[in-house]
Amino acid sequence: MALRIEIDEAACAAHGDCEHVAPEVFRVDDVAVVIGSAPPDRLIEAAAACPSTAITVIDDETGEQVYP
Amino acid sequence: MDANGVVIVGGGLAGQRCCERLRRRGYEGRVRMVCAEPIRPYDRPPLSKELLAGDDRAISFRDEAWYRDNEVELLLGTRAEQLEPTDRTVVAATGERIRYDKLLIATGAAPRTLPAAERFANVHMLRTVADAHALRDALHPGSHLVVIGAGFIGLEVASTARRLGVQVTLVEAAATPLETVLGAGVGGWFAGVHSEEGVRLELSTAIEDFRGNGRVEELRLRDGRTIECNSVLVAIGVAPALDWTGLDTVGDLPDVHVAGDAAGGQHWEAAAQQGAAAADAMLGLDPPRAQLPSFWSDQYGTRIQYLGDARRADSLEVDGSPTDRDFTALFTCAGRPVAALVVGRPRALPAMRRLIGASNGTQD
Repeated sequence: MALRIEIDEAACAAHGDCEHVAPEVFRVDDVAVVIGSAPPDRLIEAAAACPSTAITVIDDETGEQVYP
Repeated sequence: MDANGVVIVGGGLAGQRCCERLRRRGYEGRVRMVCAEPIRPYDRPPLSKELLAGDDRAISFRDEAWYRDNEVELLLGTRAEQLEPTDRTVVAATGERIRYDKLLIATGAAPRTLPAAERFANVHMLRTVADAHALRDALHPGSHLVVIGAGFIGLEVASTARRLGVQVTLVEAAATPLETVLGAGVGGWFAGVHSEEGVRLELSTAIEDFRGNGRVEELRLRDGRTIECNSVLVAIGVAPALDWTGLDTVGDLPDVHVAGDAAGGQHWEAAAQQGAAAADAMLGLDPPRAQLPSFWSDQYGTRIQYLGDARRADSLEVDGSPTDRDFTALFTCAGRPVAALVVGRPRALPAMRRLIGASNGTQD
């Protein structure tokens, strides 16, 4: 399953939880930016850690929203 | 700006966000952070949760190398004691005079105290890492903690203490926890959750007397009943920590900015935004777009997220199951969504943010 990540920059408060869970995927500056990839479970865990629910995980093939 | 550059007083989130933003926006002048505590700037939310539960996770925002690489000078263990705005100088407790071209006051807030409780060794406050360690050392399984004040800090500590096997009594002057913030309806839900988790709640009351020899052994409530305890946490709110300036007001001083709890921000996201906004203002950049006020809390393993401002709401719609700790409460004012509390369903937050943002003009 190829997953794509979208970050709602208006919602991101740069808490840094995503980077804490998956530093290979996220770097947090003014807002979080995607710098890499990881297996689906890890991406979803990182998205679910966000206190602002600012991270959306999408199945790139079907366009289906996997999280939230 | 000239050679003195930016001085940030305070080693919390607002100060950290200010220095990060200055560097990210290309500011090349001198940046100094004056921090009263002897440790690098750190994040406070874990103090009432993970750190209190014994998880000694790294809570510093950045490691030493980051400050070196970004040429941010940390003056640790340096307490600011006076502001002399005509000389553009912060005077430290050591007597050191720190001159600035631009100043950020980000000294946070000081917990409100109960004067009658101050002389006792087992009465705690919770604001710093040292406070959290001291409180943690008191939380033995089977011991009895009395938490005075059912705001977010008091509730989070009650939750953590229960997980550690501590008996907890929560004493609150209002009729429910968080009544002034969220209203009695949602406040009553918080009371129910804590009660289910074994917390004894004493609402609409206050402590009349603290008794004990050096340590509080017993508290007397207004109705005369007494509670025996091993330790006490006073969590009755905070006030901006500005006394150190020696000034009546700091709002209109030239080249002086105030951010975070020191500016009355009162929660994490406000401090983050205001710290970054202060950096932009120092550099003459347009202010960032205002975001909806929001914060979060974790209690008994349930994530609680809050958006907007419910204090002006006149009505409340609940969707989901409060008894299962899985619901959204949408607050409206004259039919317009103004705030939401999202409990145990973070997936519902983005839609709530759109709904409230649209009616409050913070989003397109």
